[in-house]
Amino acid sequence: MDTIKGRLFQLDEMEFLNSFVEITPDKNLINVRGQALTPLLTPLKPIRDGTPITGIDVSSIKIGATEVGAVYAVRGAVVLNVNGKYRYLRFGPFPFHLTRENIPRIFNEMSKELAFSSSFLSQIEPQRHLCNLLERWLQEYISHLAEGNIILWDGSLTSGIPGSPVAELSRILKAARENSNVVMALSKETTLRFLEWRITNLIAKHDPPCLFEIDSLPLSTPNYTRFLGRIYVAKLARGGCSFRLDVDKAISREDTIIAVEKLLGNELVYQGYPETLRLAHIYSTFTASDVIGIQRFLVKEYGLRLVARSNMHRTLFGPYGVRLGD
Amino acid sequence: MRLFKKIGNTLHILSFPGEEVEKGEYLLIRDEKAGKAMIAQVIDIEFANVPGVMEELLRSPDVEDSIRGEDDDPLDVMSHILYIQDARLLICKIHGTIVNGELKQENSWLPSRTHSIISRLPTESLVKLADIEGELPIKLGETQDSFPLVIDASQLDGRLNIITGKKGTGKSHLSKLLVLGLVDHGATVVILDLNGEYTNLGYSREGTENEYHDKIHVLSPGDNFKVTLYQTNLYVIMRTLIYALGLPGTSAREFRHIWRFLEKRGKLTLHELGEAIQNWKCNQHVKDALYSRYSALVNSGFFTDNMAEATDFERLLCKTERKGGVIVIDLSNTSPADRQMVVEYVLAKLQEALSQWKIRAVFLFAEEAHLYLKETYWDDIVTRMRHFGLFTTFVTNQPNTIHENIYRQADNIFLLNFVNEHDLQIISRAARADAETITSIVRDLPPHHCLLLGKIVKDFPIVVKIRPLDVKTMGQTRFFFTEEKIKNRIHG
Repeated sequence: MDTIKGRLFQLDEMEFLNSFVEITPDKNLINVRGQALTPLLTPLKPIRDGTPITGIDVSSIKIGATEVGAVYAVRGAVVLNVNGKYRYLRFGPFPFHLTRENIPRIFNEMSKELAFSSSFLSQIEPQRHLCNLLERWLQEYISHLAEGNIILWDGSLTSGIPGSPVAELSRILKAARENSNVVMALSKETTLRFLEWRITNLIAKHDPPCLFEIDSLPLSTPNYTRFLGRIYVAKLARGGCSFRLDVDKAISREDTIIAVEKLLGNELVYQGYPETLRLAHIYSTFTASDVIGIQRFLVKEYGLRLVARSNMHRTLFGPYGVRLGD
Repeated sequence: MRLFKKIGNTLHILSFPGEEVEKGEYLLIRDEKAGKAMIAQVIDIEFANVPGVMEELLRSPDVEDSIRGEDDDPLDVMSHILYIQDARLLICKIHGTIVNGELKQENSWLPSRTHSIISRLPTESLVKLADIEGELPIKLGETQDSFPLVIDASQLDGRLNIITGKKGTGKSHLSKLLVLGLVDHGATVVILDLNGEYTNLGYSREGTENEYHDKIHVLSPGDNFKVTLYQTNLYVIMRTLIYALGLPGTSAREFRHIWRFLEKRGKLTLHELGEAIQNWKCNQHVKDALYSRYSALVNSGFFTDNMAEATDFERLLCKTERKGGVIVIDLSNTSPADRQMVVEYVLAKLQEALSQWKIRAVFLFAEEAHLYLKETYWDDIVTRMRHFGLFTTFVTNQPNTIHENIYRQADNIFLLNFVNEHDLQIISRAARADAETITSIVRDLPPHHCLLLGKIVKDFPIVVKIRPLDVKTMGQTRFFFTEEKIKNRIHG
């Protein structure tokens, strides 16, 4: 943030609105190919044994632009559910002023600080990169801290794609296993498809709670991609949606089923989605008032001078040159 | 604080945590470049419409079962977010402009949004600027910023005043304070006391005589307030018969003949009047009408033939005027019909004394006047009698009983709390302030707090907490369930 002092600060209204579309870490663009499909459908029975559930989520947002770069903020949330009592721990918001010049230095320093190898650096956009760094750090932190927990991540356990190197992810999962934790990742949206069907639609007609294992399906993946999780489609509650569920592959199939049943027994599942992860999402996401507050912080702390972004279309064409809603 | 918007004479100002302002307080918006400062009063406080706050509240858990947690926020950004979420929007009414240290009614200019400095205007400064205190001080109480507010008694002189508020908010208390304040400056005050609340004005809370004791004269009709027919001239008795007792025109004409007949013979007594009516040669219906009114006069106990027990009201007025004092007409034990009779007599006598310059001027305090004042009197009091020197203060908890034209003509209005929308609508008709200011501020006034409007505050509405008075109270409601009874019932 030392590069930002006294600069002009432009609040981009369009950016401001768009930025409320959550930036999540990677989305898997993988096609499920093959004609012979032998899915395994497993009905689930909730096991109520007091297993703690921990959810982790991270959000980021663009706050504005300076003459030389952009300001982003990132925030992470960890929510813990022990016997139905929820507690949260929030990290941030952390604002970053990223410029063409300081991006490599900042990400290198952060990677070092957070004990990630420099290979973690990739070509993904800076906002998503910030999100990934904090998210992986939180995941590793919780994997070491928690014992006997079900740890829920937002997204998938796919590695080898930008922002999700195999070594880092494997290290985190190993740390979790060593503390008797089970890591599960839930994708709200997945691009995995079978015969043009979204995989989450495959079990639409089956009674919940159930799991549909698609791990044995022939997946067409690039060489550098590795699935570190066993992939399921999970339908956890009646009337709820189906989600892609990845469970740490190093855990046996039987233990995986038991872990999901424990999740069902010890967690409130609303619309088919675990409450802990929903709360983690809520606590990390930025609202409009958060953004105004952060902008105020920047102006106060760094003496930024606010300038309104001019709308060239409006300037040139007045009311005739803009689209509906502009 | 930052200037946000101006719509008509309303300003919207953003205020942030730590800049707490209360409804009714004044703000000064200084625009150094323009060399002017605008004075505005806060009439309402709302939450600033910060985007996303509703979303935030809707998705966050309820406060009662809120999820406990911690924020690891090393940069303390959250304090800025909370600061934004707690921002308030002050709705203010413009009341004037200060140019070169002088107050002017120049409200058409617009202070700068970017470099105007907004600060609270202490009441002390406002009072000095508007020259509210004057030469004849009456201490009213403390303002919201603890300034001891003093009003000028001369601003009640020659004026029409209204004191109104719902039950138990301190109307009578304020009224007593004004009465004694006027007496301090040698004024003559007549109180039409419906509930006998003012009868102990001459006693302190402990029941001992206070400094006003010798200046308070309590007259109880039928008891220590009786009059002879000699003291009651034809004009006064005719008003009483027509307005208070509803005597028809034909009968009134016959009564006039009888009165003049008795007057010529020097036999103007109750006894002779009764005899004369019975023996008068006229239509039997007229005779019956006259006799029934005569009986009402006799039964009221207000009229007597005994000169020794009669009160010379005019003399008492003149005596009171010499050093200043109060004549309390205690109507608490008087029936509604007799009440009207007594009030007619008092008002007629006041008018007579004033019109003949026997006294200079009288401040009349009328509690719940609709209960004893005829329709015809309202306009008369407000317009004609005002020119004679009768300056009325109406005190009521039913604002709808005071006519709209009285609100419009009122010079000063003392408003205590009202929450009823209908009542608020009625009082907002007062011409001395805008309806928004009145309804918004009055709705939230705590007991014994009063919004002053009009000439006493030079048209700068001010909220004041009325100071306590060392006077024995009488107006308290009598309860069936006393504290002792409640204790006994609880403990068997």
